[in-house]
Amino acid sequence: MVADFTAGTLLELAAAGRLAAEYPLVCRIVAALAQQEQAQGELVRAGRLLERVDPAEIQRLHPDLPGVSVGITGHGTLSGLTPPLRAEFARHGLVARPMVTGFDGYVRELGDPDSELSAARPDLVLCVLDPAMVFDEVPLPWTPEDVERAATAKVALIERLAERYTGTGRGTLVLNTMPLTRRHTAQLVDWRSRARLGAVWRQANARLLALAEQHPSVVVVDLDPLVAEGVPVGDDRLGTYAKAHLTDDLLAAYAREIGHLARNLVGRTKKCLVLDLDDTLWGGVLGDDGVDGIELGGGYRGEAFLAFQRVAKQLGSQGVLLAAVSKNDPDLVERALRDHPAMALRDADFVQVVANWRPKHENLAGLADRLGLAVDSFVFVDDSPYERGLVRRELPGVAVVDVDGEPALHAARLLRDGWFDQRELTGEDRVRPARYREEAARKGFLDRFDSVQDYLRELDVRVRVGPATEPEAARVSQLTLRTNQFNLTGRRLQPQDVRRLLHDPDALVLAVHVADRFGDSGLVGAVLARWRGDLLHIDNFLLSCRVFSRSVEEACLNWVLRHARDRGAAAVLAGYRPSSRNGLVRDFYPRNGFVPEGDDGTMLTFRHPLTEIAPPPAHIRLVEVHEAP
Amino acid sequence: MNSAVEFVALLRAELGLPLTEDDLERALHELPGWESVHLLWLVTILEQHTGRRINVVDLLEAPNLRHVYDLAADEQGVRDAR
Repeated sequence: MVADFTAGTLLELAAAGRLAAEYPLVCRIVAALAQQEQAQGELVRAGRLLERVDPAEIQRLHPDLPGVSVGITGHGTLSGLTPPLRAEFARHGLVARPMVTGFDGYVRELGDPDSELSAARPDLVLCVLDPAMVFDEVPLPWTPEDVERAATAKVALIERLAERYTGTGRGTLVLNTMPLTRRHTAQLVDWRSRARLGAVWRQANARLLALAEQHPSVVVVDLDPLVAEGVPVGDDRLGTYAKAHLTDDLLAAYAREIGHLARNLVGRTKKCLVLDLDDTLWGGVLGDDGVDGIELGGGYRGEAFLAFQRVAKQLGSQGVLLAAVSKNDPDLVERALRDHPAMALRDADFVQVVANWRPKHENLAGLADRLGLAVDSFVFVDDSPYERGLVRRELPGVAVVDVDGEPALHAARLLRDGWFDQRELTGEDRVRPARYREEAARKGFLDRFDSVQDYLRELDVRVRVGPATEPEAARVSQLTLRTNQFNLTGRRLQPQDVRRLLHDPDALVLAVHVADRFGDSGLVGAVLARWRGDLLHIDNFLLSCRVFSRSVEEACLNWVLRHARDRGAAAVLAGYRPSSRNGLVRDFYPRNGFVPEGDDGTMLTFRHPLTEIAPPPAHIRLVEVHEAP
Repeated sequence: MNSAVEFVALLRAELGLPLTEDDLERALHELPGWESVHLLWLVTILEQHTGRRINVVDLLEAPNLRHVYDLAADEQGVRDAR
């Protein structure tokens, strides 16, 4: 069992000369070590052992494992970087192929296309910057202005090098900010100059950070947050005697970031965060304490659990799929997520909530299957050592995050690793959770039924139709602007157009809200109609693709027809204007009791005589609002 | 770290080098797999292990592991701390 592996196992493999041969096992051991409390030291130790192994030999023996070549250059001595780098890559199942260039050779290595590094064209180039590269250039005595000049010149040089390298190189160039240390600030005795130094220093760092925006292939690691965790920047003895300006601890923390970058490079960024519930997302045991008895929101621990939920929600807002897997009563979980007043994560925030009594690894495997994802794309957080051990053993590809009885540390434990780190977010990332959620949940549900009718009946679709309200105008407008498939006439309306219609006594603007057992889809449909004498004209009918195939449109149309009849209409008229995208609704009106009336080449028109109105679909609970609020 | 035996075991574990007590007197560059960066690593390793500050210059100039051991060994540490 992997959890039983220790550094000792690694040592035995090293002593037996088996590290290359057993590299996949080494990866599992290192991954387990990385989760320990004193992980950094263990990882560096493992990395030193790995330094004795030729990466080419590992790749020869395990051609399936992705190798990532890493060119390492910079200003100072960087001997402390390769051991943690080897280990961090190993824990992700990657083979690091580091190539360390000559001391302080970054200008030539990046600037000269014939340099050793440029010629090698590594996947990643780490150009490690440190504060000494600026302070080496200031005169004595020095002022903040001297530092500003030196820093500006140095950053300009790095900008040129980045430009040149990214223009010719194929890989990713990684730069970093330069931490400012007290060793320098304290040499200025007046507070004003010291503040000035801080300001010019940060301007230089801001310019470095901006390089990531200017060059798609540049990544800038901000070292400040790593330092803020309490990692010392430099050791003056090693800085002075060995030109090692950054501590091994800081280089190890940096290597951890690079490991996740490499993971992203080979397409292994995690996609789904799977959370336990009891004592992970809230305190206490839901089954024992009840919805009202769990710790969340109020009290010391309740605050801590809420803070953790908020972090998960924040990740979820950026395309990370959230799922819950809990040994619990599903009804109780549903009630807790729905009814607990402090809950930051609601049912709709999860792509799936799995509450049952099956072993967690089975639930994770099932979840992966339903989401169409590899289980290796999961990060699993649980406070139970038993559950974590089980998942580690049965599903070694899952990243398991250890949380314990101190909920205030849950977030830090999860965020310690950049499991979900990406180069850049796209719009698609932001909507992905919702899409997965709906598709996966309904698909999983559909699988349980022999017929679509049975499925729809159990889906418990609730449709609320009624006159749109002022706050809904923007969304109704958005539906007309964004909906292409279920859009009968293609008439687009700006928010102000919709607002005008809301105040027009002859206009009817209907908002359609849909919910089902998997949650509330929100305002997903609209009907725009107008009274002309005793005729009601439907100008447009819109429905988001998220609620297709559930007869929501028929329920809405039924509402409109009955509404018209009850108001004494002689008939309802409607039109269909074909577009390149709306072919699927060509027969919408004729299928629902309308008779064709005309075709002027651009618009087909239909009439419903209101003599016989078909009942609404039986599986839909129609909630009707006939008067404008 | 109370003995040279323990010291050699520590180096084996930390550096992954196949060292024995016989290697203590050998010149560093003659040791199998020895590289100059190992001395830098030893600063961190020995300070973490002993919990005491080590004399970095002496370590960087150490001709052999016996010298390193003397620097790190308990009595030496106490002397340095004074």
